Amino acid sequence: MNLWQYILRRLFYIIPTILGVALIIFIIFNVVAPDPALIMLGKHATLSQIADLRNELGLNKPMWAQYLDIVKSAFTFDFGRSWTTKQEIIQMIKNGAIPSLTLTLPAFVLSTIIAVSISLVVSFFRGQWIDKCAVFFCVLLMSITSLAYILFGQWFFAYKLGWFEISGYESGFPDFVPYVVLPIIIWIILSIGPDVRFYRTVMLDEIYQDYVRTAKAKGLSERVILFKHVLKNAMIPIITFVVIQIPFLILGALLLESFFSIPGLGGITLNGVYNSDFPVIKAMTILTAMAYIIFSVITDVLYTIVDPRVRLK
Amino acid sequence: MKKFTTLFTAIALLIGFASCTKKNVETGKTLNIAVSAEVKGMDPIYANDRYSSNEVGRVYEGLLEYHYLKRPYTLVPNLAESMPVVSEDGLTYTFNIRQGVLFHDDSAFPNGKGRELVAEDFVYSIKRLADPKLQGLGWWLLDGKIKGLNEWREKYSDLPSVDYDEVVEGLKATSKYTVEFKLTKPFPQFLYSLAMPFTFATPREVVEKYGKEFLNHPVGTGPFILPTFKQTKKIVYTKNPNFRKKLYPTEASDEFKAAGFLKDAGKELPLVDKVVVNVIIESQPRWLNFLKGKVDFIGIPKDNFDSAVTPDRNLSPEYEKKGISLLINPSLDVTYTAFNHDLKLFQNADLRRAMSLAYDVVKSNELFYNNTSLPAQSVVPPGIAGNIPGYVSPYRGPNIEEAKKLLAKAGYPEGKGLPEITYDCPSGTVSRQIGDYMKQQLAQIGVRIKVVTNPWPELQKKITKRQVMLYGIAWGADYPDAENFLQLLYGPNKAPGANGSGYNNPEFNKLFKTASVMQDSPERTALYEKMNRIAAEQAPWIYGVHRQNFTLRHSFLKNYMSTDFETGQAQYLNIDSELKAKSIEKL
Repeated sequence: MNLWQYILRRLFYIIPTILGVALIIFIIFNVVAPDPALIMLGKHATLSQIADLRNELGLNKPMWAQYLDIVKSAFTFDFGRSWTTKQEIIQMIKNGAIPSLTLTLPAFVLSTIIAVSISLVVSFFRGQWIDKCAVFFCVLLMSITSLAYILFGQWFFAYKLGWFEISGYESGFPDFVPYVVLPIIIWIILSIGPDVRFYRTVMLDEIYQDYVRTAKAKGLSERVILFKHVLKNAMIPIITFVVIQIPFLILGALLLESFFSIPGLGGITLNGVYNSDFPVIKAMTILTAMAYIIFSVITDVLYTIVDPRVRLK
Repeated sequence: MKKFTTLFTAIALLIGFASCTKKNVETGKTLNIAVSAEVKGMDPIYANDRYSSNEVGRVYEGLLEYHYLKRPYTLVPNLAESMPVVSEDGLTYTFNIRQGVLFHDDSAFPNGKGRELVAEDFVYSIKRLADPKLQGLGWWLLDGKIKGLNEWREKYSDLPSVDYDEVVEGLKATSKYTVEFKLTKPFPQFLYSLAMPFTFATPREVVEKYGKEFLNHPVGTGPFILPTFKQTKKIVYTKNPNFRKKLYPTEASDEFKAAGFLKDAGKELPLVDKVVVNVIIESQPRWLNFLKGKVDFIGIPKDNFDSAVTPDRNLSPEYEKKGISLLINPSLDVTYTAFNHDLKLFQNADLRRAMSLAYDVVKSNELFYNNTSLPAQSVVPPGIAGNIPGYVSPYRGPNIEEAKKLLAKAGYPEGKGLPEITYDCPSGTVSRQIGDYMKQQLAQIGVRIKVVTNPWPELQKKITKRQVMLYGIAWGADYPDAENFLQLLYGPNKAPGANGSGYNNPEFNKLFKTASVMQDSPERTALYEKMNRIAAEQAPWIYGVHRQNFTLRHSFLKNYMSTDFETGQAQYLNIDSELKAKSIEKL
């Protein structure tokens, strides 16, 4: 099977997956959840208004028609309008995507590079004090809650020292840069602990393989072994770990965006949840599910590139 | 190692770049406001929460407004030239509107120049609020009040499109500058609805041009302009260059006179050139931005309360030195725990009174409101006619001994024979804690409570369907009239109306009916007070508190006071730019 056939076949799997996701969303929001008309009308709702609104929202349609609406929206990207803001959801997503990505993308790329680099160094010095210290610091970093980093970072570096903006956002490069630096640093600190521990384990697994011993026996230097052989072989778990995280980048960084007032998708999602704004939650769920499927296809394709032993089936 | 060096250099450069970038403290005549919730769109008919109605009120205006410097709250003409002529039967209200008022420029108008406001704009805007297809959130205000409007609404609810040109008997422009409202029955509170954003003037051609996107293209007659609204964290308004000659008031209540609020008297509004609204949801960044002078005023976040306010309710010296001042004002609201009066159990007044007496409101004020609220004695909050200053309800707790006696009198000595009572409240940590506190308080007299938390709509549904026994909730004023609170206990308003507890007392109902058609007068106030007393003595609810606002402002912000009706406030506020430049140095 060639690569394109494989990709097409995998993309075809999106259809049943979306049907399933749509079914779950439908059951959660259209069957189990409380009546949205009551949420929207607030404290002065009357029965006739509730009935009118249900009609307007299409909640009086037969169940199958409501389910089909969800499925349709996944393929047309027409998610309708938000119930609370009355804005077009696709427009909200477009507006929020760039601010989110200006935060999550550099943060993600930097934290991955830093974590992989540190892991290589500590694997090189495995069992020595550098390795022990690194593991100790990773555990230390992980044992502090993310909120503490945010609150302290904002208070100390932005307010007390005045190095960064406390919160806010300006669109357009380079205006946004001063606003995202502190959240990016916090993101990196937050992810370094778990990432380094994961990559270190992956690399150590490789280091104890037979081929490493063979390479050593042949007299190759540690550095060549590490960078040329170990890193390449460790790429499969690394790619899986990295690519699978990407779909969640589009969801934005919920807490960071909220604390730093970055008008990204995290805020949209969070607000959707706070206000029981079902169309927004549905849209974000569908988008994440689709991104997840697409990126898992990409992961599989990447496997074949980094490891010729992996065959497309 | 070279790679690491490059990487760290890049990070260092990024940080350096961030630090060197301009510090965004605006020193011109710019008002910097922080709000703690997302702003929905800018369509007046959907402005049902504080945040959206404040934003709508910067761009749009109505016939009336609250006098900025008078307390008690007093209505004065805004787009109306004068207060309306009211017919003797109290049914017809005739308004002459100001001439020469222009809408903001927009491409929907010929040549893009804003046209003059006419009486027909109010007819159109109010029909929009009644439009069944639009589901305007302020319809309750006018529901059943204007002759022919309900019929117009109903007629079009099943038809595919709505005809705005069809004449409604009670809503007419009788000349270019005269609008006439005919009511179905006397309703003195009608005028308040004309000061609420729901009824503000929107130009038809703009609405029709933008359709569903109208909410992102605000075009009003107001003091500030916002060409396009984007759902973002920062909204920037500029001064309307064509704003009519509206002046800062020259009269004020004594308290405002004494506080120097008349320094800008007679000046043309608005006093600032720009308004920047920052949406900062989390309290810490909101607070830190205020302390840095990037936000001009702030409601004190709960977690910062103890650091900012001393136990004797003064501002802590640390902040005083920075030129910050503290403003305390009661808000027009009441929190309460309602009994479901449909249940025979709670038709027993002694049981209700006993439960009310067992509840320690002073302690709850301490626990949940930093001791900043006022214990409620009855339903009407201080600051509006109908509240009786100094009145103490005979059934205001804590008085455990008396509560036990009353419980025995009610037929349940030490709670024997009483079923377990469910207490429903909205989900959320504080609501749940308040529920647990209620449980603990009532356990002292032997009443067993089970706390049930519900998502907000679920709680509303339960109340409407009468599936509750006891529930905790709050009510904030829509307008400064005791009627807005007393209606919560008026029998015919029973759920799904506003009377969720289903309290039904013929004497109270009779008084309410009489007062509801009376214009503001000492006689009406006497009736309100009588009802307020009944509401205390009959204990239809266990009263909670009237909350108070604790606000801080910087010295460079002038004319600011904390108010329950903030719509339009920005036009009166002023910034002392020189003082601001100096103060920022110190912050």
